[in-house]
This record gives sequence, structure tokens and C-alpha cells, in this order.
Amino acid sequence: MLRVIPVQKGETGAGARFVAALRAVPRNLRDDLWTTAHDPLSRTERPGWRDWMPAFALVLGFTAALIAIPNVNQLTAVYGLNMSYAVLLGGLQSAALVLALVRPVPAWWAVTIAMVIVTALAEPRAPDVFLPWTGPGLALQAGVLLLLALRVRPRAAVEALLISILVGLAGGLFVSRAHDYDIGAAAAILTTVVVIGAALRASRVARTELVMQEELTAEERARRTLLEERNRIARELHDVLAHHMSLISIQAQVAPHLVEDPPDELKENLAAIRENAVEALTELRRVLGVLRSEDPLSEGARHTPQPTLDRLDELVGNVRDAGQTVTARTTGEPRPLSPGVELSAFRIVQEALSNVMRHAPGTEARVELGYEPHALAIRVTNTAPAEPAPPSRTAGHGLLGMRERTTMLGGELAVGSTPDGGYEVTAILPATPRKPPANQVEDTP
Amino acid sequence: MTNIRVLIADDQMMVRQGFTVLLNAEPGIEVVGQAVDGLDAVAKVAELAPDVVLMDIRMPQLGGIEATRRITAPPGAAVKVLVLTTFDLDEYVYEALRAGASGFLLKDASAADLAQAVRVVAAGDALLAPNITKRLITEFSRLTGTARAPLKERVGDLTERESEVLSLIAQGLSNAEIAERLVVAEQTVKSHVSRILVKLGLRDRTQAAVYAYETGLVRPSGQ
Repeated sequence: MLRVIPVQKGETGAGARFVAALRAVPRNLRDDLWTTAHDPLSRTERPGWRDWMPAFALVLGFTAALIAIPNVNQLTAVYGLNMSYAVLLGGLQSAALVLALVRPVPAWWAVTIAMVIVTALAEPRAPDVFLPWTGPGLALQAGVLLLLALRVRPRAAVEALLISILVGLAGGLFVSRAHDYDIGAAAAILTTVVVIGAALRASRVARTELVMQEELTAEERARRTLLEERNRIARELHDVLAHHMSLISIQAQVAPHLVEDPPDELKENLAAIRENAVEALTELRRVLGVLRSEDPLSEGARHTPQPTLDRLDELVGNVRDAGQTVTARTTGEPRPLSPGVELSAFRIVQEALSNVMRHAPGTEARVELGYEPHALAIRVTNTAPAEPAPPSRTAGHGLLGMRERTTMLGGELAVGSTPDGGYEVTAILPATPRKPPANQVEDTP
Repeated sequence: MTNIRVLIADDQMMVRQGFTVLLNAEPGIEVVGQAVDGLDAVAKVAELAPDVVLMDIRMPQLGGIEATRRITAPPGAAVKVLVLTTFDLDEYVYEALRAGASGFLLKDASAADLAQAVRVVAAGDALLAPNITKRLITEFSRLTGTARAPLKERVGDLTERESEVLSLIAQGLSNAEIAERLVVAEQTVKSHVSRILVKLGLRDRTQAAVYAYETGLVRPSGQ
């Protein structure tokens, strides 16, 4: 059976929200105050709370102990508690202050309950004593509330404050013995400490968030740099690939012209090769379109082919023209390497030299290329600069790019200072011997 | 009719050799030389006076765009430049057209397309790949903000009929199509076209199309 519940007018709009808020109160209270949870101590501040904790504990413990003595005295002498209760309750209140350092919510419960018990047991000897708050009791509760407000959400702190005041109010109302019923002063003191605590917490939270934000931004920047570099590398390699693909398509068309009366099978086969190359090129152009839109090429790069090691002399010459002393040496038998290796090797030398110009201008740079049977060894060094350049905070595009390129090829990269104060970049790129095609001597893809 | 004399400028020997073989196999086309980079191309054009240059864009020393600019800069230079690209990069093509190229072609174009392109460019009586050319010109004249607005006055030098012909050129129509549209002889269209080029100081109909879009004579929407 369906039962239609009429929606009452008061439950819509602001009214409904108010009712909902009221209904949420018990749950909020339970969430906020029936827990031992509190803010973790920040790790980012230095020196932070964590480091000062033992000192705080010491001072607090000393204070708590100092207050305990007059507290117990008062509880026996003024409030008429017997000695064992006085020691127990006074001790509990003092212990709560120390406990508040690590467990503010239970500590607050402890002082509040202690206050209730004191009020219930008290038989004041004079009509003008403070009740339900004893003087020392109020001081300890204020201390605990301050520590609480520093460590929990403002809502929980306000709830604790209100409960403290309500409990005090109830105690004052229901205790029929003559006493000084000055709840206003007590409430004012407790409110003040909670406001101070909450304000301090708010500024700490803001600072922590700022630090986290900065960390995030730095992380984001590093990620971006890495992605940009990978994008650049991918673009260059696809570029080289596209050149080779278009060569295949041209050669497949040219081949039938090179023999007289080519058989039909051969022509068909070559036509299929060409078709495949053209299809692959179409796909490649799409990929390149995506890669390019991310990172537009510089004017110079757009009008020149992707470099190979053939153009190393040109590069060294340009660097020299820019005022950098640089010598280049090649060992082993130079041979054409795979386009990816050639391009990467050129870029690594280029990056290394531009780092030298940027960070150690006026030094002597050396470029060494070693053609080994199964690898190409690249070494770019510079002598010690006259005055040490400021260390850069993060690995820039340069080092990152060199590392990415080396890793991509399965090679090794080592960078670091030399014993004489200079800097050294060494890359070993695996390079299997490649047989050059007969007529590809001056190829620059 | 004499052969169309072609110079091939590309830094890759295989491309040069390949295109030479393909074009020499075509009747009426003769490859007269090869250049290995932009500087070489400029020199070879001066030396060999070809009708058409097949120009690669990305070359060492001097890129194809700058080489095109130098080759087509001298007033009265009759040589036509056909730009070859590995990538169908719109911006290259527009730059190439602005630099004075008459057309462009992908390197992996078929031999037939290649020969056709050389013939069209050499004859100069139609735009190469009108649709693509138009799309590129309109797109880029919009992007570059039609910076040549003051030239409008010079469109005023054209007679009404010549302006009409110019806008039809820009829409990619060949001389024959324009003749049909205007119900005149093709020879009349030809003389209109050459008067337009002379009056505006332009070298060919591709440049005339670029001009028409950039001056706003023809609107990208095709009005």
C-alpha cells in the first residue's frame, strides 16, 4: 500500500533546511566530539609542532602539576570534598591538560565530567565561592579548550564550548547550595580562548594549504615539463618516420621505371607498397597534427630537416660563432646510424652545449663522439667556470630531454661534476651497425 | 610545343632522382637540373631558367620558402614554383603561397598528379587543387586578419569585368570555366587575366587568388 505523505509548507525552503540542520545536530555532535580524531601535526612546517611537542608537554605538565596543588587544597578546604576525591578529581583535571596535547577531545570530556562531579559533590564552606567552576578548574578547562580549538574543526570547538557552558549553567541551576553564580565571566573566558584557538588554527590551516598548493604547482610544472619534452621527442621521431614513408612511396613509384617492361606482378606489388606507404603517411600526418598543435616548432626548425650527426660540424660552428670555445673530436670509424640514434645524438650534443653556454659561459667545451662496435658514446665536457654558476633548482628541459632520449633508445646517461670543477655529460646509445643503402650517401631526413 | 623545363630542389638524393625519373617519363616534361638546397636552387634557377621548380620546404642552408621568395622576387621572373611537402601542413602552404609559390603538392603524390601539377602550374590557366587552395587561403586570410586592407584602392584600378574575373579566379575556376560563366571567348578571359596580373603587379593566378581573399574582394563564405 502506498501512503502519500503530504509535504508540509514549513518543510520547504529555509524552513526545511533549518529542520534538516536541527536533525543533523546529534549526528554532528557525535562525529565531532565522540571521537579521538584531530588535525594531524603538520609535517611541512619546520621547525613545526612535532619538533616542539616534548617542550610543550614539559611546560604543560609542570603547569598542570603547579595548578593541581592549590586545586586539591581548594577542593578540600573550600568545597568540602574529602581528600581522596579531591586528589582524584584535581589530578584528573590536571592530567587532562597534558592529555589535551595529544588527545584534545577526550581531554575535554575529562575536564567537563570532572567539573560535573565536583559540582555534585561540593559542599561549599562559604556562600561566595565559585561554582560550578572552581578557579583552578576554570583555568584548566580553558587550557584544554584552547588546545582543542587549535586542533579540531571550528564547528567541533564551538560545540565543545557550548556544551561546556551549558553544563556549567545546568550545574549552577541545579546545585541548590549557596554559591557565587557567575557564569558570565566563565563563559567569557572560555569563549575567548576558543576564539583565539580557532583563529590560530585557521591561519595554520591556510599556511599548510598554501604550502601544499605550492608543492602541487611544482609537481604539476615538473610533469608538464616532462610531457612537453616527450612530446617534442615524439614529434621529431614521427617527423623522421614521415620522411622515410614518403621516400618509400616515391621509390615504389620509381622502381617500375628502372627496368624495361616490368612484369605486371612486380608493378602490382610495388603499387601495393606505395598504397601502404601512403596510408601510413596519412595516419602519421594525423599524429603529427596532434603533436604539433601541442608544441609549435620554431621558425628555424620548421624550415630545416631534422638534424643528423652529419650536421654536427655546423652545430659546433654555430656554438663557436656564439663565442663559446669548443673543440670536437670523433674516434672510431664513423658510420651512418639509425635515424632515431642520429637525431637523438645530435640533440643530446646540442642540449649539452647549450647548457654549457647557459651555465658556464667562457669555459672550454669539448665534444667527443666515439663510434664503438655496438654503441655510440657521446661525451660533452666543460672546464671549471671562473665563478660557479648558481645551481638551478630543477632539472631543466635540457637534462630531462637528454635523459628521455637516452632511455628511449635503451642507453645510459650520466651527468655530473668533474674532479676539476667542470661538468660532464656522457651518453651511451646502443647502435647496431647499419648498412647504408647504396645511394643514400647524403641523406638528411 | 616545347617541353616544360623542370628543376627539382630537394636535399634528399632519392627524392630528386625519383622525381626526375617520374617526370622524364612524362611526355612534354623535361627535368633540366637538380638542386640540393635552397641556395643551390636560387643559383640553378638563374643558371638554367627552368619553367617550373619543384621545391622542398625543409632544406639545410636555405629553406624552400625563403628560396621561393628569392626566386619569385625579381619583377618579370617567369619561373613558377611548385612546393613539395612531406606534411600537408596548412601553415607551410600558406607561407609558400605568400612567398610566391604557384601551388603545392605532397611528396607522396602519384606520378600522374605530379605531372598534372607541373602542367597546370606551367600553363597558368587554372589554380592547382582549387578547393584546397581556396580553403587554405580563406582560412589564413581570416587568421592573419587581412592585413592588406589599403590595397582595396588598387582593386579600383580594375574594370568591373576584371574584378569579376578576379573573383572567379579566386573561386578556383579555370579560364575555360570563366569563359563559359561569362559567355565570352577563352581568349578574352586570358587577356583579362593578364591585364589583372599586370595592373595588380602579381605574378600568377595563385597570387591573384591570394590577393582577392586578402583584400576582401572575395569573402571566405564564397560571396
